[in-house]
Parts: sequence; structure tokens; C-alpha cells
Amino acid sequence: MLTTILFILRIIVPFSCIAVAARCFTSMRLGKRRKDPVILLEDTAAHRILPVFYWENSIGRSRSSDIVLHDQTVSRSHAVLMRRESGWFVSDTNSKAGTLVNGRKVKERAPVFPGDVINMGATELTLRRVESPEIDPFRPVYRRAASPFSLMWSVFIIQILLAVQVIFAKGNPDFNAALPLGLLMLTEWILYLYSITIRGQVSFELETLAFLLCGIGITLISGVSVKDAFMQLVAIVLGIIFYRMMIWFLGDMDRVTRWRVKIGVLAILMFAGNLLLAKSRNGSKNWISLGPVSIQPSELIKVAFIIVGTSTLDRLQTYKNLTGFIGFSAICMGALFLMKDFGTACIFFMAFIIIAFMRSGSIRTVFLACAVAVFGAFLILKIKPYVAQRFEVWHHVWQHTSDSGYQQVRVLSYSASGGLFGVGAGHGCLENVFASTSDLAFGMMCEELGIILAITVVVILAFLALYARSEATRSRSTLYSIAACAAGGILIFQACLNVFGSTDILPLTGVTLPFISQGGTSMISVWGLLAFLKASDERTYAVRRQRN
Amino acid sequence: MGKRSLIIFFIVACFFLGIGSFLYSFATQGGSWAVQPFNGHISGSAASAGAGKILDRNGVVLVESKGGKRVYNSDYDTRCAMLHTVGDTQGFISTGVQYNYKSELSGYNLVTGLFSPTGKNLGSDIHLTLDSKLCRLAREKLGSRNGAAALYNYRTGELLCMVSTPDFDPDSPPKDINTNPAYKGAYFNKVISSTFTPGSIFKLVTSAAAIENIPNLDSRTWNCNGSITINGNRITDVAPYGRLTFRQALAHSSNVAFSQIAIEVGASKMMNEASTMGFGRSFTLGSIHSAASNYSVKSVSEDQLGWSGVGQYTDLVNPYHYLVLMGAIANGGQPLMPYMIKNITTPVGITSKVGTATLGGSLIQSSTAARLKDYMRYNVSHEYGDSLFPGLDVCAKTGTGEVGHGKGPNCWIAGFSSNENTPYAFVVLVEDSSLGSISSAGRIASSLIKAAAGS
Repeated sequence: MLTTILFILRIIVPFSCIAVAARCFTSMRLGKRRKDPVILLEDTAAHRILPVFYWENSIGRSRSSDIVLHDQTVSRSHAVLMRRESGWFVSDTNSKAGTLVNGRKVKERAPVFPGDVINMGATELTLRRVESPEIDPFRPVYRRAASPFSLMWSVFIIQILLAVQVIFAKGNPDFNAALPLGLLMLTEWILYLYSITIRGQVSFELETLAFLLCGIGITLISGVSVKDAFMQLVAIVLGIIFYRMMIWFLGDMDRVTRWRVKIGVLAILMFAGNLLLAKSRNGSKNWISLGPVSIQPSELIKVAFIIVGTSTLDRLQTYKNLTGFIGFSAICMGALFLMKDFGTACIFFMAFIIIAFMRSGSIRTVFLACAVAVFGAFLILKIKPYVAQRFEVWHHVWQHTSDSGYQQVRVLSYSASGGLFGVGAGHGCLENVFASTSDLAFGMMCEELGIILAITVVVILAFLALYARSEATRSRSTLYSIAACAAGGILIFQACLNVFGSTDILPLTGVTLPFISQGGTSMISVWGLLAFLKASDERTYAVRRQRN
Repeated sequence: MGKRSLIIFFIVACFFLGIGSFLYSFATQGGSWAVQPFNGHISGSAASAGAGKILDRNGVVLVESKGGKRVYNSDYDTRCAMLHTVGDTQGFISTGVQYNYKSELSGYNLVTGLFSPTGKNLGSDIHLTLDSKLCRLAREKLGSRNGAAALYNYRTGELLCMVSTPDFDPDSPPKDINTNPAYKGAYFNKVISSTFTPGSIFKLVTSAAAIENIPNLDSRTWNCNGSITINGNRITDVAPYGRLTFRQALAHSSNVAFSQIAIEVGASKMMNEASTMGFGRSFTLGSIHSAASNYSVKSVSEDQLGWSGVGQYTDLVNPYHYLVLMGAIANGGQPLMPYMIKNITTPVGITSKVGTATLGGSLIQSSTAARLKDYMRYNVSHEYGDSLFPGLDVCAKTGTGEVGHGKGPNCWIAGFSSNENTPYAFVVLVEDSSLGSISSAGRIASSLIKAAAGS
């Protein structure tokens, strides 16, 4: 009887998750501003009105500019018109002819007000307000598919259902086992109240989704070890604190720009510290033990990597070359190879590709980087043949069920054993396999909670990446959109490596599944990545502006 | 930034491609993934509670799950006789039904996997075409001797009897099974997985080659004086038979005549004939594959070719292959392939699979089959004696494969009843036998076919 009830609950859970996720994503889509011009530029000579759509707009002769000026005296990328907290600014981006506001030459950045005249080469532009002033384009009426409260409430119900699975995992009710999950729910409501009531935020979808995933992760871990589940809970709380700090830090773009170099240096120092202090664990040197806790610095450096890589549009247009960032990336990747952490190296490389492409827009750069990477990989396989051995079992796991393919065949076998709805939390067999709750978390989800839920979880991660992309043109700055795309790319790429590695579609690299896998530093890191997505949502800082 | 961010689409597309490929494999191969021997949901003590029954054609339960354990038939002899068909609990017998139909027995399905939402038995029951009484009889007749016996209905394809010895009690496997020489080969179903020196039963292949390649075969005679020396190598008969026609040569199983016939036909035509008749090929019993028989006379000397024509040299025969070959001769060249799964029924009573006979590829030309059948009938009526198979019009060929190493020969009989009312084909092998092939294998075959015809 109990078995049947738990089974029915396991059927309800994945479909509720799909419903909640769908409502979160539609809410985020509806929450977007309509694509109306936010301000206008009038070409004084031609009496032509040029609508301005974005927070940061490149102006120039180049056809890829946001505002194209057909004037030979204008540079290809001449200036950037951008909106900041205090109003509109124009920034000259190393143009030949220079930029003037009301006849005064712009050095770096100058404020512009409606009615001001901007001269670029032979072109004269006047800043004009959008007609129908009763509508402030920056404070649109946000439409919502669902209230943040109802979404949180749904997640809460789902987590209660998961808690029931955990409580009855061993047959007799064990309420202590569900304590970590209960405390997670409490944490969620505290953050909800803080964000909505105290900070006055209007959106809570990203946090809701993250909680949904964290709850599933805690459920899996609770079935194996309640103590580990408590550790995971602590990591989530630290992750949330880091998340809020990141949102504050990202709020001021000038602050981010000022700190970039310092953060880059800190990241390199952390890598150096890692290489000096770490002892080899399971073949890679990516852990540092600090007393009772061990941390994985490379996880935190992911966040730093994005901050170093991203940039506002005016700086992008002014300092076009990528040399500094390429150098920084090369140091990071080199350090990861020395640590023999190839999975993380792949993730950094993917982040590098996204950032490099978004900054330069050049497919050539991407191809060049990939070519260098392939060459590097080839060189490593030649010089260090033992690396190749790790990949030998790939696509031959069924011939190595008791040695090098041990983990993968068990993931496949136990995933299939779970069917669509799983055998129940704590009833799985995969938990006895090494790294079941981290590297093999996807397999454990399939076995214990069913493949529908497991697929839902990774599809949510895919949609987070798509969400980051869809925000790319609406963000307050390229600083946010590049960072969000890099963070979204990392999340989905990491999910790819985890899911496909453990199921033998790719070689097994041993990376964590974001928000699900057990691991303190990696949990803190994914919350950090989520902060980039949050920052790229223009609603995030909207309300704070309203309150000031 | 709009266009540049399309790189994210590219990554997400790759992700969905991968997920699609995983889901496709999950749907198509999930069953075989799940039923691995290491899977704790199947091999664990609590897990086998969900496994289904295996029953014989008369509904006799051969194995079922009781109290979290696999429990076999209460009769010791039935347990041992059915061991190689049913398989053992540990899965060492890889040709057993329990091993090959793990997915059905465990009740694996895409929706609930190996999990039973009701906590009740989830596995399907498998009804076999085999008759446990007939198998028991075969085992009893083999006695302490090692060997194999199989019998099937060549008109319906139903496999009725399949026995291999040595065997052991699957309810309590002997502790010394891996060390005691008495249990050597106990994990093998010799009908399916082993090959043996055929001796004279191979003469059926030589005969088929002769029928197709020697035009005036029935008017030819061979002078059989007890031995012939080829290349300085002496090939002997049991006794001098004098001048023999082809039919008589086959009935007496004259090595002198058949070694000459093989040489006359020639190595390449002998190889062709053997290959047509299924040598070098694996045959299937449902999803189980048999070991391939061997006939290879590439660049051999004349005496070696002669020996090969009488079923010695490197010749090896798999009993299941010969069972199918008997079915082919009886059926006019094209065999009805044997099957052993009568049906599979799910716990809710739905029959998920019904076994049916399928026509195998042609193993022999129909005209050759007809003549071979006549010769084989003559073997029984004039040489072995119809008293062995009264009223059954049996066509057969015996064989005595010499194996050397101080061991007695493999005694064989392969044949079928040409009576429309008793369409059974059979193969019996007794290893290391001190009796002749008729007194060993022949008598077992006699008991089996009589029992099959009687029931």
C-alpha cells in the first residue's frame, strides 16, 4: 500500500515540476519590456528620426552598429550612447573625428540630456524624448503568468512530496531524514521574504527554479546520508549569500570594471595556491583541505573568469583586442591541465569561446581558439599517453563492466531500472557506486525519481541558458548579457558533460550537475553563476532604482 | 549582442541532440541495460521476488519465486533434466531461459522499469514447448553417461526435449562444481553450445555431395575388403563387407567406400556441400545462438580428405545443427526452425509473446533430401532394425566419432520419423561410450521417440 502511494506521488512530482518550470519561464518571458524605442535621436540635417532601443547602443558607420550613420566622416564604431542610473551618456570609442556634446569634445564619457546636440564627424544628432510622455519606457507594466508567491508555493508543495519519499525511504517513517529538506524550505521562504518584501524585487522565477533543483538534489543525498544532506544544505545557504552579494556587486557596472583586474589576479593566485597546496585526489589535484573543509578553488574561479571576461559596450568598442583575456584564459586552462582536471578545463574553454565570440563577434576567433585547443589536446595525448587511457573505454563500456566502464554501465543499468518514475528515494542501487551523488547524480535521479524528472531537471538548465540568450538584447549592459550568456553556457555545458559523460555519450570527465550534485564549492559557484543571469534581467535593478 | 548570443543556441541544440540520442537508446535498449547480472534490482535477494515462473508444455512449474528465492520443481530428476533449458539462478548457464529472458521474467518495462508499483510479482510467466517428462526420460536413459539429447516436431517447430549431462541440482548447486571433474561442462548445454567429432553421421553430408556430384551413383559399387591404404594411411572398416552398392555402403557405414567417395567428389565440392548444409554457421533457438559445426579441408592431403569424408579429421558437429538438418531432410530441404517459448504471459494475464515456427533457409536441395531420406530409411529397415522404432518409419544415421586420448568414442544417432502422425526429428549423443552407437544412442532415441509418439 505504502509502495503504491509513494509511486503515485512520484508520478505527480515530475509533472508538477514541468508545470512550475513552464510557468516560471513564461513569466520571465512575459516580464520582458516591449520592444519600443526608449529615446530618439534626430538627425538635424536630414530631419530623420533614429529610434534607440537598447540600454547601450553602438553608433557608427559599420552596418553592425545599433545606430548606423551613413557618413564617411564617421568612424566604423564611433561612439556608444548608453543609459546609466543617473541618465544618458555618450562615450567616444577612439573615433577619428571625435564626438562633441553641445560643441564640447567628449573625453571618455559625457552626460547628455534631451535637447542636447551630439556631433560626430559631419553628422549632428539631437537627443529627443519619446512622444507620449505618460509612458515611461523604462518602467513598463510587467505582465506575469504567475505570481512569485504561487510559484514558490508550488515548489513548496513539490518539496513536501519529495520529503514524503525521504521520510518513508526505509519503510518506517523517519522524520529526521527529511530535516535537511525541511530546513531548505525554511531557507527558501526566508530568501523569498527578504527579496520580495525587504528588497522589493518583482521577480523571483530564477530563485524558484534553483530551489526546485536544490530540493531534488537534497532528496537524493538524504536517501544516502542525512549528514551529507546537512552539508549540502549549508552549501546552499552559503551559495544564496554569495548570490545576494554578487547581485549587489554587479549592480554598479563601474565597480565591476574597477575590480576586474584585481579579481583576475586573485583568480590566478588561487590557481597557484591550489597547485601548491593540493594533494592528488582520485587522479586530479583540484582540492585544497582547510582544516575540516575541503574546497575546490576552480569552481569559484569560474565566477571570477566571467567577471574578468565581460565588459560594457563602450569599453568593448574602445579596447577591441582580446589579448589580455586570452592570456588570462591560457593561464587558467594551463593551471587546470596541471591539476589534471580536464572536465573543468573543458568548461573554462567553453566559457572562453562564448565570451570571446560575444566580445568580438568573429567566428574566425572561435575557429582559431578551437584549432588551438584541438592541437593542444593532441599534443597532450602524445606527450602523456595515460590521458588517452581515460578515453579508451568511451563507447566500449559494456566490455569493461567491472573496471574502467564500471560507473557508466551502472548508470545505464540503474537508470533503466527506474523506468519513468523511479524506484523511490533511498531505494536505488547506484548510491553504492563511487561518486553517485556528484558525478553520477543524473543516473541517481533516473533510478530513484524517474527519467521524466531527470530530463525535466536538465531541460530546466537548458532553458536557463536560452533565457540568458533571450535577455542578451534587453540587458542594461553588454556587461550583463555577456556574463549571463557565459554563465548560462557554463550551466548547460556542465550538465552536458555530467549527463552525457555518465551515460557514455561523451567520455566520463567527472563534473557536477548544477544545483543537484553534492559538493560545497560547486554549489556556491552555481549560485554565483545564477547571479549573472539575474543581473541580466533588467527588472532586477529596476525596483531598487524606484526606491532610491 | 542579439546575433552573437546565437552561440548559446548552438550549445543548447547540441544538448538536445544528446538528450534525444540518450532517450532513443533508453527506449530501445533500456531492457538490456537493466537486466545486467550486476543489477541489484534483479540479482539481490529481495529483488528476485518479482521474477516470473517458467512452466513446461503441460503446465508443470519448473521454477518460480517464493519468499524472495528462486525455487525449482520439487522433483530432483526434473530439476536436473530441465537445468540447461531453464538455467541456474546465478546465471552461469548463459543459454538458459532465465538468462536470456531476464527482461521478461524480471518484468522490465519502459514505464516502471524494474520497479513494481504494487509490490507484487511483476515478472511474466514463460511457458515452454518442452515436455519435462520427456526430458526426464532422456536424462534417465543417459544415466551416468555424459551426452546430449534433443527432439523436436519438424512440422510445428516445437522443441520437446533438450537435455545435456553432466548436470547439477539448481536448488543446491554443488560446492565443488568448479573443481570436481565429474561436473566438467555442467554449465554448458551441449545441445546448443558444444561441438563434437561426428564420426559416421557426417556421411550424410558426403552422401549429399555424392548424390549431387556422382551421376551414376546407384549403379556404382565399392569393393570393401576391410581396409584401404591412402597415402600410406590405412582407413579401416569394422569388418570386410565385400562389394557394396552406395545404399549398402551407407547402411554398413563403410569407411572404405566413403573415404573414396569424398576423395572422388573433391575437397572444394565437399566444402561447398558442408557449407550449404549449415557447417560453419550458427543456428538460432529464439534469441540463443548455437555453436557452429566445422568442416574444413582446404589444402589437405588425400588421406586427410578421406578421413574427413567419414566424419573424422577436424570435423566437428553441433547437435542442435544436426537436429535442424534432420528437420530439413524430413521437410524436403527447408527446415522449420525449432522454438522453445510457447508463450509469455504478463501478471495481468495478457499474452505478450506467442512462439511460432519460422521457416529456416534451405539446407539441402529437395531432390537430394528425398534420396537421402530413402537411404536413411533403408539404414533403419535393413541395418538398425525397425524393432527399435516400431511403426514410426524412422530414417536415421548412426555414428561413432573417435576422439582418442584414451577415451571411448562419441556415439551418435540423428534421424526422424517419416510417419505423418509422428513428425519428430532427433539427435542423441553419448560421450565416451563403450557400447556401439545403436546400443547407446540408438536405444535412447528409441525410448524418446516412442514416448513422444505415445503421448
